[in-house]
Amino acid sequence: MLSNGGVTSIDIAKVYPIRMLESGPAGGALGAVAFGEANGESDLLAFDMGGTTAKACLIQGGEPLVTHSFEVNRLYRLKQGSGLPVRAPVIDMIEIGAGGGSIAKVDALGMISVGPESAGSDPGPACYGLGGEYPTVTDADLVLGYLGAGSFLGGRMSLDMEAARTAIERYVAKPLGVTVEQAAWGIHASVNENMANAARIHAIERGVDIKQHGMFASGGNGPLHGPGVAHSLGLRFVLVPPAAGVLSTLGFLAAVPSIDVTRAHYAALGPRLKDSVGPLLKEMEAEGEQLLRDSGVDAADVEHRHTVDMRFEGQGQEVEVSVPPMGESWQSDLEAAFRSEYERRYGTVVFDGIGMEVLTFRTKSSGPQPSRNLRLAVGGEGPAIEPQSRGVYFADERSFVEVPVVSRYSLSAGAHGVGPALIEETESTTAVPDGAEYSVLEDGSIRIDFGKADS
Amino acid sequence: MTTESRNSLDPVLVGLVSGRLASILDEQQTALIHTAFSPVVRESYDLACAVFDSGGQMIGQSSGGTPGHINAMATGMEHIVAAYDQDALVDGDVLITNDPWMTAGQINDITVATPVFRQGRLVAWFASCCHSPDIGGRILSAEASEVFEEGLRIPIMKFREAGQENSILAEIIRANVRTPEATIGDIYAQVSSNLVGARSLLNLMDETNLDSIDEVAGDIMERSEAALRKRIAQLEDGTYTAQVDCDGFREESLTLKVSVTVQGDELQVDYSGSSDQSKYGINVVLNYTRAYTSFAIKAALAPEVPHNAGSFRPVNTTAPEGSVLNCLEPAPVASRHLVGHFLPSLLFDALRPAVQTGLPAYSADALWMTVWRGLDASNDLEKSHEFTLTTFGAGGSGGRPGKDGLTTTGFPTGVRAAPTEVIESLSPLVQLERQLITDSGGAGEYRGGLGQRIRVVRRHDQPWSVNANVDRLRAGAPGANGGSDGRAGRLALKGEGRQIEPKSLCRLQPDDEVILEFPGGGGLGHPFDRDADRVLDDVVQGYVTREAAEQVYGVCVTSASAEAASGPVGGSRMEIDWDKTTKLRAQR
Repeated sequence: MLSNGGVTSIDIAKVYPIRMLESGPAGGALGAVAFGEANGESDLLAFDMGGTTAKACLIQGGEPLVTHSFEVNRLYRLKQGSGLPVRAPVIDMIEIGAGGGSIAKVDALGMISVGPESAGSDPGPACYGLGGEYPTVTDADLVLGYLGAGSFLGGRMSLDMEAARTAIERYVAKPLGVTVEQAAWGIHASVNENMANAARIHAIERGVDIKQHGMFASGGNGPLHGPGVAHSLGLRFVLVPPAAGVLSTLGFLAAVPSIDVTRAHYAALGPRLKDSVGPLLKEMEAEGEQLLRDSGVDAADVEHRHTVDMRFEGQGQEVEVSVPPMGESWQSDLEAAFRSEYERRYGTVVFDGIGMEVLTFRTKSSGPQPSRNLRLAVGGEGPAIEPQSRGVYFADERSFVEVPVVSRYSLSAGAHGVGPALIEETESTTAVPDGAEYSVLEDGSIRIDFGKADS
Repeated sequence: MTTESRNSLDPVLVGLVSGRLASILDEQQTALIHTAFSPVVRESYDLACAVFDSGGQMIGQSSGGTPGHINAMATGMEHIVAAYDQDALVDGDVLITNDPWMTAGQINDITVATPVFRQGRLVAWFASCCHSPDIGGRILSAEASEVFEEGLRIPIMKFREAGQENSILAEIIRANVRTPEATIGDIYAQVSSNLVGARSLLNLMDETNLDSIDEVAGDIMERSEAALRKRIAQLEDGTYTAQVDCDGFREESLTLKVSVTVQGDELQVDYSGSSDQSKYGINVVLNYTRAYTSFAIKAALAPEVPHNAGSFRPVNTTAPEGSVLNCLEPAPVASRHLVGHFLPSLLFDALRPAVQTGLPAYSADALWMTVWRGLDASNDLEKSHEFTLTTFGAGGSGGRPGKDGLTTTGFPTGVRAAPTEVIESLSPLVQLERQLITDSGGAGEYRGGLGQRIRVVRRHDQPWSVNANVDRLRAGAPGANGGSDGRAGRLALKGEGRQIEPKSLCRLQPDDEVILEFPGGGGLGHPFDRDADRVLDDVVQGYVTREAAEQVYGVCVTSASAEAASGPVGGSRMEIDWDKTTKLRAQR
């Protein structure tokens, strides 16, 4: 498994071990691609929220966005610049210090801040009763009614509501002079907003209009917080796969054999460029094809896609552009592709009379698509949760509203309903917002669509 | 919600808007760096971005950027807002100025401000300030005797009017600078990044149904102000003083003197007793003095409080008119940062007795800026052109409470050095050497950061020139609490006794080699209190010599015994001679 989301042979992995860095999260992104495609959706924000961090990755047209430089081992609050820079193709994933164990506090300005400090799973949130003193996101979710004290982990672990309330009261509600419920709501909303901000910036930096996307929510806390994040981002829908916990393994099964070949070719965009680029791309295709054939892919199944990094002469940052097919108008097509990409990202400041240059060409060579109809046997397994209801705090009304709680294991394909609703399973709880519609799809995924008035 | 009183503003909403504004500002900054042309902006980040309410009060700033730009812009915005009546501004207008007294104190620093309109009403401003690679006049140095010699001065005017470029102004700028493409390209990048910020702010207002951000902005400012006041109130009332010398220009060195008076929850910072205004271009305008003062106070007392108009309010900064920290027109100001950058360490030194948790020792402080110029000549004369390249570098920062100073990392400015690869690909310059200087960090329990030696030559047989705007050549950064001074900087040409005059234009022969040795940071705490294992580590890393370890730190480092040295790792191994070390340290 490569970090760019492709698979490769053992031999190639031995030559380029660096390309396997971060391949685990890449598997998660591919799971999102597979479930999305099975349900006819190819533009997604894959969102994974666990106990200490959340990760997000954009999928455009069924392909995860790839970056060519990233940092590993960030030491300071997951901040840019605090890690080791690595230059290798990798699925472009952002990591945010926000999870169920993230600790909430009141900052110097008298406002709620959440994370990146985390209580982890030991001692964990105050409600675990393992000695955690500080209020966490999970404590807030419990107080608000999103989590059930008796149904957490399918009832195998009971949560201590009093401990959660005490921690929030002491460290957040009292200093702010608000009720415990309002404070819990503030924690819940703040963490959602942090994640939405990070995703929004990421999308803008990559020149993507995120509102055209749906969310694919995974991880223990993804289905619970994902709908709130999606709503804040103005996304169209949320897709919650079954068995989110084993997603990255499933993703590996859906990966395409592929390899990226890169060549630096620094030149001005001019009439002579085509003469040198044509042979260069052919050579890169040949190399990619050879590497894939060595991995057992039939040459007839190999496809190539070319991109190039471009900028205006004198700039230091490049924009990645698809290389148009070779032809009469190749140069003007490439210029047009660059200008339109540039304008999409940075608005309408037109540079006339300044030359353009190309720097790095990339060829992605891929083998045939495996079948991406991932499906798990669902229903019947896991403990049956009796249909019931519990009070969930609604910020607008400043009070608890009785919300139905449904067992995911009791829902089969075709089941549907309208929020507010909570759908519980062993590993997580899906929160269906007020007015949103949910339905269970053929492959066992739950799809939540936001009402038109909401989006 | 706009009709509710401020007290009833939901802290959750304010928190959400505040967090969102911070991310919008980083978006603006990223767009600026990505679209800029000059290495000054795109590699070194000599810039700042900020968002202001409809009245020009700063609500927030981007996370990168320099204090001199950002804070000078915060207090300079009032002039820009006042320059036009609100009805004289329309959507698509963009204002520009580089007036030193109104903004960042140097004629190279160009501020571009864009009013943001929503449903025909001016709701906010986005602005940025960037160091232009060239603005005409003399090449940046301290040699001018009036600001008029330092380059093209642009009063506050419209660079764009309703979306249309003011082509007359653009032509005048192009005709007056050595780097027309990069100077104008950077201004375009500023225009474009302001638009990126504005676009996202309007989205935010739509999503949250806010007709105005002024009320939420006011709340954010009040919270920052209250947090800083609370911290100031914890300090013991009284007057705290400090002074420091800096190189000045030619024979005329300067003294900077400060007294900080704490009274309740307010601070009065006064620079009386500092040197008079110089006849050379090392003068600082009050706006810039205030910028670094405000930065230092907040860094010393409440680093977690965001910087905005509110956090300026509890601090009142004064300097006598006509002094080097409050110079009067038409004083020359080009190298003002070589004085202004000393203020934060000076203020830390003054406040040291008042702040229980401790404060860092003096840093190398002044950012070293060199401007290189010459013919970029291939054999083909047709293709020859002049190059003008500005590069930055920093010495070590001072030892910090509980941590060593940072090596070759700028403080107080966050400007970064451009990579050697970038410099060599943009110009005929070649950096023969770029390495840390052993023993340059001031010794201490917490060692000062190291300085660096850079040796520069050029390709092609052509004359060239350098303006080395550098400081701390006469004396190193002072240590604190028993720590030693950092090593002083050095500027020289290769060859016996060949000197270069700093802060001046220096013409070079084609085969000259310029040597820049950046100063180290001051040490904090007595070197004998430094953990002996950390001294060993410094020796192994090459940061400290064995001689200095013994003589200054009282730690005897020896080559390891034969059997210990025969481990799997090759090369020499070192260990501490504990007997000798204990004896040495007992002599303190």
